[in-house]
Amino acid sequence: MWNDSNKYDRGVNTFSPEGRIFQIEYAFEAVKMAATAIGIKTEEGVILAVEKKLPSRLMDPTSVEKIMEIDYHVGCASSGIAGDAKTLADHARVETQQHKFSFNEPLKVEAVTQSIADLATHFGEGSEGMKEKPMSRPYGVSLLVAGVDEDGPQLYVTDPAGTYLKYKACAIGSAAEGAQAYIKESFKDDMTLKEAEKLSLQVLKNVMEEKIDQHNVEVASVEQTTGKFRIYTTAEVNDIIATLS
Amino acid sequence: MSKMDFHAKLAGNIFKIDNDDTEKAPAMERGFNPYVTNEGTVAAVAGKDFCKVVGDTRCSLGYTILSRDLSKITKLTDKVVVATAGMRADAIALHKVLLTRIKTYKAKFHKYPDIDVIARMLGNTLYGRRFFPYYTFNLLCGINSEGEGAIYGYDAVGSYDRVNCGAMGSGSELIVPILDNQIKDHNVLEPEAPSDTEIVENVLRDSMHAAAERDIYTGDGLEMFTIDKDGIRFEKEPLRRD
Amino acid sequence: MDFGNDLDFLDQPEFGEPDFFTKAPIELMGPTLGLDIHQNEADFEEADINEDIGEIKSEGFCFKLAPDECPSEFARSLKHLGPKLADFKHGTTTLAFEYQDGIIVAVDARATQGAFIASNKVRKVIEINEYLLGTMAGGAADCQFWERYLAMQCRIYELRNSEKISIAAASKILADICYSYRGYGLSMGTMVAGSDLKKGAQLFYVDNDATRVRGQLFSVGSGSPFAYGVLDTNYKWDLTTEEAIALGIRAISSATHKDSASGGVVRVYHVNNQGGWTKIHDQLDVNEDHYKFENSKGLRGDGKEGFGKLKL
Repeated sequence: MWNDSNKYDRGVNTFSPEGRIFQIEYAFEAVKMAATAIGIKTEEGVILAVEKKLPSRLMDPTSVEKIMEIDYHVGCASSGIAGDAKTLADHARVETQQHKFSFNEPLKVEAVTQSIADLATHFGEGSEGMKEKPMSRPYGVSLLVAGVDEDGPQLYVTDPAGTYLKYKACAIGSAAEGAQAYIKESFKDDMTLKEAEKLSLQVLKNVMEEKIDQHNVEVASVEQTTGKFRIYTTAEVNDIIATLS
Repeated sequence: MSKMDFHAKLAGNIFKIDNDDTEKAPAMERGFNPYVTNEGTVAAVAGKDFCKVVGDTRCSLGYTILSRDLSKITKLTDKVVVATAGMRADAIALHKVLLTRIKTYKAKFHKYPDIDVIARMLGNTLYGRRFFPYYTFNLLCGINSEGEGAIYGYDAVGSYDRVNCGAMGSGSELIVPILDNQIKDHNVLEPEAPSDTEIVENVLRDSMHAAAERDIYTGDGLEMFTIDKDGIRFEKEPLRRD
Repeated sequence: MDFGNDLDFLDQPEFGEPDFFTKAPIELMGPTLGLDIHQNEADFEEADINEDIGEIKSEGFCFKLAPDECPSEFARSLKHLGPKLADFKHGTTTLAFEYQDGIIVAVDARATQGAFIASNKVRKVIEINEYLLGTMAGGAADCQFWERYLAMQCRIYELRNSEKISIAAASKILADICYSYRGYGLSMGTMVAGSDLKKGAQLFYVDNDATRVRGQLFSVGSGSPFAYGVLDTNYKWDLTTEEAIALGIRAISSATHKDSASGGVVRVYHVNNQGGWTKIHDQLDVNEDHYKFENSKGLRGDGKEGFGKLKL
């Protein structure tokens, strides 16, 4: 797959003659190996759903944090290296709070995403005298950023290259392609939030290797009416699973 | 020569500091005092769906009049102006900073900031100079996102609060009681915002004339800005010129 | 930057721009927080004060200092440099006390500049967030700015730890700030009242010397001796909430009666033991209250009780 990879894949600051930076492409591979995450945007709000891979039944599923609150009106779901996801989410949290401090208003969802993308491209050796050295490698994680602001509900997706795009619905992670195909079939522009909840878990159920239950998935929503981000309790998740076919 | 030395030298040349003395001098007679006051008066009243701001155009230094036509009010966006009394040099610098920050905000978020956003911006800008303040007293006036008239009053280092009406500068002690009486409705806790533009305009004009009568730093010209849903209108008329 | 003796710097594009955030782009005139701010309380560092290039960097902020021999002395002596430049509003009465059902916070609303009443409607209770309140005495800007900053820190803590910050830790953040800016003339005397689900309502006093004391009953400001008099006489731990509110109002209105630098309206807040606060009175006009109290005891209240009565 990587013809000249042995020459050019070590430095994060070196292009190969074909115009690729292999470390970034490898970071994409890290996302492709990770558990699936799904985001669906409707007029009533945005739904985020993720699969939690639990390698051992001795593991406590509550300690796997795949969906994180960024501020009252924004949250994100991650697929990739969990530690990197935390670093990016924490950066976004600080940026949103800083914006609120400086301007007395919540940060727009696009700007939140922008701040995540900014940090994602901030890697490499850094320069001398920098107080905080940047990350030495690209961040191996993709994030689904869901939020509500004056422009209504929005869903953005970031990737290790620092690109961000706006989606109506999107899936990332190991089963991204399969999940994307399922969503494309069933997605309608006038979906209700309830339908989106159900669709997201239905898609997860179809692509997951293990049997879906309230412990190995996590669901969250941002509602247009309240403008609030909320992670669902296991009981609520269980209720949705019960309605699946 | 470092920048610091340069400033020190510049200051030394202008203010004729004998540097050896500064250490011994008590706080009261410090050598380096960059502050002068050019005073003048600004006043504003917020109405139901409009906001009116007036300011005089005199700029003095001590008893000398430096200029008879220097504006104290700067338009920041189509809905917000800032009116500043105090030291002219600092006011000009501050207005420049605000305009730049608003431009940056526009570039970053693709919209002009609302008045409550600019209010925080100005508060933080002033506090950023907590240990070397801008010697300015600001009124931020305009209409907010709901279309109501809004005024924010500031102290020199950035504490701020929303008010119904206010006055800043050398004539403020003369004007505030008039506004209390005519606009705030004395002894009423929640006064209703005035809806008649003509009454407000006359009160503001009269109070500026009153201040020009009794305050040596106020006079020459009167600028009146009206901010409402149609944008910002600007009128100019004479005040006492002696 | 070396300007030498020529004046070329006047032509530089950034001349006149706010270069106090030297290398930073313009939007950084607000806070620029690193990721490590207060992640660990033990990491707290003293402000990085570099008087050679005229700035203080700490907490992610960068404050410009005066180009003076001794910038800290410059900052301390601001009030002598220009009238109204730093007339800190010392005239005030604020009080807060713990009792069985939480904390009552009561304040007056007057701001004075010399003998001139600049405002009778100042908000001296700062609503930091939904479970913390701060009161304001001393420099209004110092209190407002740093308590806003505290709100931001508390929110970041909450997001990182999925748990509300304790009142002790929150008040410590404020005290740490005061400590790191010691000698630069910050002026604040604040009571941090808040409520968490573990320990209920707690009250801390924090001031610009970085004093931080947990206590049950505090009053700050020029009217505080009068407020203390009323409070100490009538205070009991097992007051009901109604009694406690009435006591707070009475203490403030007695202080506004005797202290001319306090006045305006009274604002009362109740911090409960269940992790929240409520606003009891937004603005309560009290200029007649003193006479009502005295009349209820059968006195005139105007200091002429013996009028017309024979002494011998």
